[in-house]
Amino acid sequence: MKLDVHDSSPGVNPKLLRGKLREDLTVMVAGQGGDGSLTIIALVSRVLLQRRYFIYRSSNIASRIKGGHAAACLRATLKPRSNLGDHIDILVAFDIEAVEKASSRLAPGSVVIFDSSRDALPPGLIADNVVVLPVPFSRLAVRDMRRDLFKNSLGFGLLGRVIGLRDEEVESCLRSHFKKLSSTQLEPNIKALREGHGFADKVGITSSSSFLTLPPLESGPERMFISGNHATAMGFMAAGGRFFAGYPITPATDIMNFLNRNLPPVGGVVMQAEDEMASINLAIGAALTGVRAMTASSGPGIALMLESIGHCGSAEIPLVIVDCQRAGPSTGMPTKPEQSDINMLTRGGNGDYPRIVLAPGDPEECFYDSVLAINLAHRAQCPVIIALDAVCHDTNTVPRFDLERVAIDSGKRVSESELVKMDEYRRYQITEDGISPWAVPGMPEAMNLVTGNERNEWGRVTTEPEMRVMMVEKRSRKIETVKPQLPRAVEWGKESAATGIIAVGILGGVVTEACERMAEEGRYFHCHRPRTLWPVLQDTIDFVNAHERVYVVEQNEGAQVTGLLQSEGARAENIISILKYDGLQFSAAGLVKRIMEKEQRS
Amino acid sequence: MTKTYQTGHPIWCAGCGHFGVQSALQDALKRSGVELHDTLVLAGIGCSGTVQNNIGAYGYHAMHGRVLPTAIGASLANPELTVIATGGDGDGYAIGGGHLMHGLKRNPNLLYLVMNNGVYGLTKGQDSPTREVSVSAPEEDPLDAMLLGLSILSTTFLARAITTRSEQLNELLLMGLKHAQEKKGMAFVEVLSPCVTYNDSYPRWMNKVYDVDADPDYDKHDRGRAFLDLQRLGEQSRIPIGLIYHGEHATLHTSLLSDIAPAHSLEEQYAESTRTHMENVLASYAV
Repeated sequence: MKLDVHDSSPGVNPKLLRGKLREDLTVMVAGQGGDGSLTIIALVSRVLLQRRYFIYRSSNIASRIKGGHAAACLRATLKPRSNLGDHIDILVAFDIEAVEKASSRLAPGSVVIFDSSRDALPPGLIADNVVVLPVPFSRLAVRDMRRDLFKNSLGFGLLGRVIGLRDEEVESCLRSHFKKLSSTQLEPNIKALREGHGFADKVGITSSSSFLTLPPLESGPERMFISGNHATAMGFMAAGGRFFAGYPITPATDIMNFLNRNLPPVGGVVMQAEDEMASINLAIGAALTGVRAMTASSGPGIALMLESIGHCGSAEIPLVIVDCQRAGPSTGMPTKPEQSDINMLTRGGNGDYPRIVLAPGDPEECFYDSVLAINLAHRAQCPVIIALDAVCHDTNTVPRFDLERVAIDSGKRVSESELVKMDEYRRYQITEDGISPWAVPGMPEAMNLVTGNERNEWGRVTTEPEMRVMMVEKRSRKIETVKPQLPRAVEWGKESAATGIIAVGILGGVVTEACERMAEEGRYFHCHRPRTLWPVLQDTIDFVNAHERVYVVEQNEGAQVTGLLQSEGARAENIISILKYDGLQFSAAGLVKRIMEKEQRS
Repeated sequence: MTKTYQTGHPIWCAGCGHFGVQSALQDALKRSGVELHDTLVLAGIGCSGTVQNNIGAYGYHAMHGRVLPTAIGASLANPELTVIATGGDGDGYAIGGGHLMHGLKRNPNLLYLVMNNGVYGLTKGQDSPTREVSVSAPEEDPLDAMLLGLSILSTTFLARAITTRSEQLNELLLMGLKHAQEKKGMAFVEVLSPCVTYNDSYPRWMNKVYDVDADPDYDKHDRGRAFLDLQRLGEQSRIPIGLIYHGEHATLHTSLLSDIAPAHSLEEQYAESTRTHMENVLASYAV
């Protein structure tokens, strides 16, 4: 259904403007990189968050500064979600490519607001049950405000009307979003916004007569709207993290940027290194002095760091390493999500060494797992890796983080008063729990040698077979010691169901929604999301072996989680892997389809 | 008195230059008055990567090639430590070469001591970047780390010594150590430390060295002239030794460390001192 609305347009069919009540809404804004799609989505998020919706926000961008198809999406819901809706309800498209890319995902009755400044939409591109509003954004912005960029505020004004927002809440949102702009920069934006409202008036869309109605929700406890990257960085900082070194890489750079802004004011050090080997070794240097240190990268950078991660395992250096996974191998698809570093993180590196790998599933878990990670690193004196997936860059609505829940555990760090009571100090003392007392440089009478070579208790290099075995086993025992502190899997769904589903990281969210849909059809599943990837906890193995059939949902081609579970004792015949590696995220409908296909076959 | 590790005995071949480097380092540490427990000696991988075992200070055996970033991280995290990074020419100029120029560029407060013997000794004789008479690549000129240092405009202390002139070696190491301790930046000292087994360069180097300290016309404060002088000496097959360059520049520490407190002392204070800041950061994400 195409409504030809130009300046002289007759207006929108009033029948369409009955304000259909929506409780689950997916909005996409798309165009070329630099068009401002992210800005419009950020503005709409802001308004809807004020209305107490849960917002999940994701973007699909090209790896370039400007240009290339770029789309930003949000989903507004009454309960927390970690994925976009199956369909797009409203699309703001700045070019034909944006419509082409989204057309198959447009819901019946959805609205497409199309920038008609340059071209008209080719016939047949959009189904007849979609409402199209052609608006010459760009032309209007240039004509009236002299700059193309103002089309964003104009578009935001119109979009606000389409989803039934009040003009004043839209305007106050724009003002607070751009509060750092000078008034000479802000005013044209306000003018553009009003122009958007004026355009809506002309075609008959008002706040009370719009396509949708979004009721304001009740107030409740304070929430946060934050990405996994920022939450992870914040957790590190809250837990006393004071040294970070990194090298720019998508999608991990956010962590460095966040800490660069926020760590120096409390005496922390943030360094941009010349490469990833330097980043991790700068962090190792800081860690040697007892400072809580972290580095972050993505797959290619983590691959470069792997030798040093193993070195931390061997030399017993506490360090947190964040891997913001992206589609590999090699340079892969830098802006696309994947869970394909799991083999590398759990198995990679030369030799056998103790390590812990955590996989938080939402920004809230990112925060608390980050606190735990640096505590665990100090407790077990080993590398702790935080494996993030799309959770790293996607922004979600979570309960406000509670600083009261943050406690610092320095493990067996030796104080000067403890030290004077000791007859001797051995850095690598063999202990029952595998963890040796740790004294750092600057402490009188605790001089010691730290090395990645095999060594005796004093840190002197040795290849003596008995000592070698004792040291290997000591390091291995540390992981057993801290196992009770490792995050346990989250389980939900129908406990008595014969069929289970396992997913890690952000995929827990889409599995939840898929299961809700299948339950409506009378199909029930028991779900399990491990939060610790390494060591593999027995609960997960037991879960696989206790169910007739378990779907392992993963975002990689190599069935890496499946392989990991099998190698740790899960029965291979129980597992059916559901894999996705096209660079897109699972949708609930897509996952239901994949599972039901397999269910019908078995 | 808590008993700690017993210092080791050098593993080097009889006649190895590294013996002289170690004594000079010990002498400099002693004369500088720093306590061993306030000293961190980091060493790379290779024959030279064992010197930290023999000093009695805090010792760290770095990843191959990564001694400089590790040392920088340690000295930023605890600026009160005397940080000494050591290693060979393979460790520092080949696998770690990328870090060298960035280390020099940043000018951190530490001493970087390279034992240059022109060869990979521990793996039995392969060419290093400073090998003059190359076995496998006859057309390559050896890398001159002093020229590299001069070309980076934020360097503040560049020196080269030879183990056969122990008095000068001792003095240069002491000056370098003080440069770092007085927080004037990075002291980069390369010591010609021959490998008697795989590249016995004693006779060659002893005849080639040219002591700029003894040259009244040499100006160690003039970077441009120093560069030309070194280049000219190189063309004459001479190896300049002495204090090659001495200047002033902002250090990494002054530009990066906030004046609130060094990172290492914050752990215990954290809960009170940063609570407000943390609450504000959190609030900026609240909805």
